[in-house]
Amino acid sequence: MDTPIIVLIILTSVAVTSPLYGIIFGKKSIKYVQYITTLSLLVSLVLLISSTLSLTPQESTVPHLLRNDTLGSFFSLMVILVTLFVTITSFDYMKGNSNENIYYSLLLFTAIGMTMLSFAVDLLVIFVAWELMSLPTFILAGYNKQDKLSNEAAVKFFILGALSSGILLYGISLMFGITGSTNLEIISQSLPTVSADMLPFIIFSTISMLAGLGLKLSIVPFHMWIPDTYEGSPTTISALLSAATKKAGFAAAIRIFAVIFPLFYFDLALALSIVALVTMTLGNLAALTQKSITRMLAYSSIAQAGYLLIGLVVLPYSDLGLLGLLYHSFNHAILQASAFLAVALVRLKTSSSSLDSYNGLSKVMPITSFCLALSLLGLAGIPPLNGFWSKLVLFSAAVDGGYTWLALAGLVNSAISVAYYLLVIKRMYMDETSLKSIKEPFIFVSILLFASAIIIVTGLLPNVLYNISEDITLSFLSNNPV
Amino acid sequence: MMVDASFPLISVLIAMPILAGLAIPLLFKNSQKYIIHYAIIVALIELAITFYSYGLILTNGSGGEYNFVEGPISIIGNFGIDYLVGMDGLSGPLVLITSILTLLVLFGSRDLIEDRKVLYYSMIFIFQGSIMGVFTQLNMILFYVFWDIVLIPMFLFIGIWGGPRKRYAAMKFFLFTFVGSIFMLLAFILIYFNVAPHSFNIPEVAGKIPLSLQVISSVLFFIGFGVKLPVVPFHTWLPDAHVEAPAPISVFLAGLLLKMGGYGFLRFNIGLLPEASAQYAWIFILVGIITMFYGAIVAIVQTDIKKMIALTSVNHMGFVMVGAFTGTVFGISGSIFQMFTHAAAVGIMFMLSGYLHEATGTRNITVIKGLKFSSPRLATLLILGSMAAMCIPIFSTFISEYLVILGAIQVNTIYALIVAVPAITVGYFLWMLRRVVMSDIKPGTKKWDLSNISTLALILYLVPLVLTLIAPWLILDVANPISTFYASLVSGGAA
Repeated sequence: MDTPIIVLIILTSVAVTSPLYGIIFGKKSIKYVQYITTLSLLVSLVLLISSTLSLTPQESTVPHLLRNDTLGSFFSLMVILVTLFVTITSFDYMKGNSNENIYYSLLLFTAIGMTMLSFAVDLLVIFVAWELMSLPTFILAGYNKQDKLSNEAAVKFFILGALSSGILLYGISLMFGITGSTNLEIISQSLPTVSADMLPFIIFSTISMLAGLGLKLSIVPFHMWIPDTYEGSPTTISALLSAATKKAGFAAAIRIFAVIFPLFYFDLALALSIVALVTMTLGNLAALTQKSITRMLAYSSIAQAGYLLIGLVVLPYSDLGLLGLLYHSFNHAILQASAFLAVALVRLKTSSSSLDSYNGLSKVMPITSFCLALSLLGLAGIPPLNGFWSKLVLFSAAVDGGYTWLALAGLVNSAISVAYYLLVIKRMYMDETSLKSIKEPFIFVSILLFASAIIIVTGLLPNVLYNISEDITLSFLSNNPV
Repeated sequence: MMVDASFPLISVLIAMPILAGLAIPLLFKNSQKYIIHYAIIVALIELAITFYSYGLILTNGSGGEYNFVEGPISIIGNFGIDYLVGMDGLSGPLVLITSILTLLVLFGSRDLIEDRKVLYYSMIFIFQGSIMGVFTQLNMILFYVFWDIVLIPMFLFIGIWGGPRKRYAAMKFFLFTFVGSIFMLLAFILIYFNVAPHSFNIPEVAGKIPLSLQVISSVLFFIGFGVKLPVVPFHTWLPDAHVEAPAPISVFLAGLLLKMGGYGFLRFNIGLLPEASAQYAWIFILVGIITMFYGAIVAIVQTDIKKMIALTSVNHMGFVMVGAFTGTVFGISGSIFQMFTHAAAVGIMFMLSGYLHEATGTRNITVIKGLKFSSPRLATLLILGSMAAMCIPIFSTFISEYLVILGAIQVNTIYALIVAVPAITVGYFLWMLRRVVMSDIKPGTKKWDLSNISTLALILYLVPLVLTLIAPWLILDVANPISTFYASLVSGGAA
């Protein structure tokens, strides 16, 4: 069964038609749009879960453009799951906004872009998927058009996003010039035969692609837009950006760098390791000083990208690298989505995202506080939550790959990060509040609880996801020897 | 002869309190009238299981090996993370004191904890279960997992039920101990990749670690366990945490949490890295001696009785450290014994400081006067507790410190100077008693004394101390086989 194509068709048909319902049915249509969006995402999720778990390799109808492998299924599984969370919580969060139909349609278009990106094996398809993923998020970031911060978020995001797309495309065109193809498989065959004169161009192309991808991967120095955009956009969209689009970016990065890594003309791993070190350190140190929780989570998201990069760094040296990257991507997607959505609920109810508004929150919003605390502890890597196991695998991969200093740096960074995560928990559970009891909407809270359940269950039974990640790693590496 | 129970004893010891703790929010949602009864019953069952398992080890004399081994049960099988538990002569006494102290802490909490009882009691049991996990877990990663879970209840204990600076103290406590644990985790990962076949299980990696890695690991472990023990200069979280924590929680802190550090040093530094420990023993012993003297000297000038007791803990933990790194049977047995006795001795002192605060509204040594007139029971117990902390030979604290000193002198006569430490301890305790208990009463001081049941609960702290003075074999017969084994490892490493 050709899962990517089926999923893309399902999602596209809903995404294209849902704005029409507004014209046909008027105001009432919004309920239908919500249901049909949720349903299409659920169906896709089920298909992707089954194809992730099936171990037999499956043919794609467009084998040179999309490869139907478990790596792609796994990444699109996590992005669809996050999109589903975002969609359902938006029922409450976006209630009363104008053009709600279009909001859900744009969410689906982003999901389509991300799904395509997870499966793409041709540089041009990667680029198209990249744009398909980015363009709707520019609009979504600026969705509150009366809100100055939201506008700033969108403009900043758009300008940098457009720039990065340009740089990415430039890198791709250089790669085409060097190898004569945009297909990653053909590139991987012809790159080793390219004459040594081409080395500067290969390096330049790699750096361009890294810079272009780096914007979405939120790695330093391409991180400038993140805090502003995450703070200004609707918080559900921040959840989508940090938990989903970033992961799709990593899928593309894995496929591209797996091709370039075998070239030992230059030490890509060393360069990436320095980027990883700077990314996690800057993210964590900046997060310590923030006054707003969305900005804090934004910097924490940057720091987490640094941990994920460790997996990319040791990709050629240790199987655990890719394994840890996959494992932590999934856990981080759930944790970050859960944290951002909890913040979204608090923002919806108290219309504030400053850290001060979290004082004593556990007394007025007990469930939200619990879910937020849980996801923050997970992000900090406190056992036995899921974040601990995947971080452990990533840091072990660094040791196994000969980058012990990077493991040490990651561990020290985890210790720094505990400080600011814990500060929020301290505020929620130990400080006093002046707020009156707040009713927590049922649907929203059930999504948060569902995410918390995933965090706890995958924390207590880590081997399920570990084994899935291991299978995916082995099958990917056997097809793409690094 | 290794004892093997057909019944998963250790898993019950770990899981029962945790499950009982998680059940509390469901059971006592509306009425908290019987919560303390429930808690005491759970603690009693746990204590009974502990007595049974400890008794089996004692009668079989199998302290030198792992008993009641369960596992390995795969958690992440392909990554060497297995559930593997066992109890030997090192964990046995610590498991025993954990069960005893939990029961006693519950008695104390009855009087001193008023608000948010549901959360409090459920955290008590989660804490107990994870401490049990720390002392019995033989897989390094799961050891780390339990080690870190312990932090969360303790963070909440200090931060919610603590004194005026509770939030600061809670954050400081968590950050210090978490940062320490990070280095320990790095050492575990390094060990995993440097033994063949790769393993996190302590019995499988023992004796396979190359010397260069042993040295690196012992530095990393020193940070990890040193923060917990604590040794100077990683001790600064301890006075804050103790002073701010409510009295029953201080008992947990000093009685159990610090023991995690001591346990770690013995299990990992001595058990896994004997060669590095043999070569660099003098550094560790020196740090231990500095810790002792520092704790004792700084305690002299304290005016807060709780801070004074906290620093006494630092001083006593120095003995654990020195005893462990002497690498002699006397020293290691003394070290294990010291962990057991210190928990009870300092436990009663912390509880008394809590009652003292109830009675007089202050813990300031210079302010409280004439306790023997206003609260005779409290005064009597304070004198007895101080005698335990001073290691007067009516309590077994004397034996444990004596053994450590004996071990130290065996290694090098210069170490005999640590005999001065108990002398200082006696000095400041007597001074405290003179000011607080033996002074004249201020006119108009209200009378307040312990209830019968609280008195009884406090006396229970002294029972194990007297019992093990009369019959030290209760602990030593369990501890000696493992001490002999560890001592042979270390002397093998030195040769």
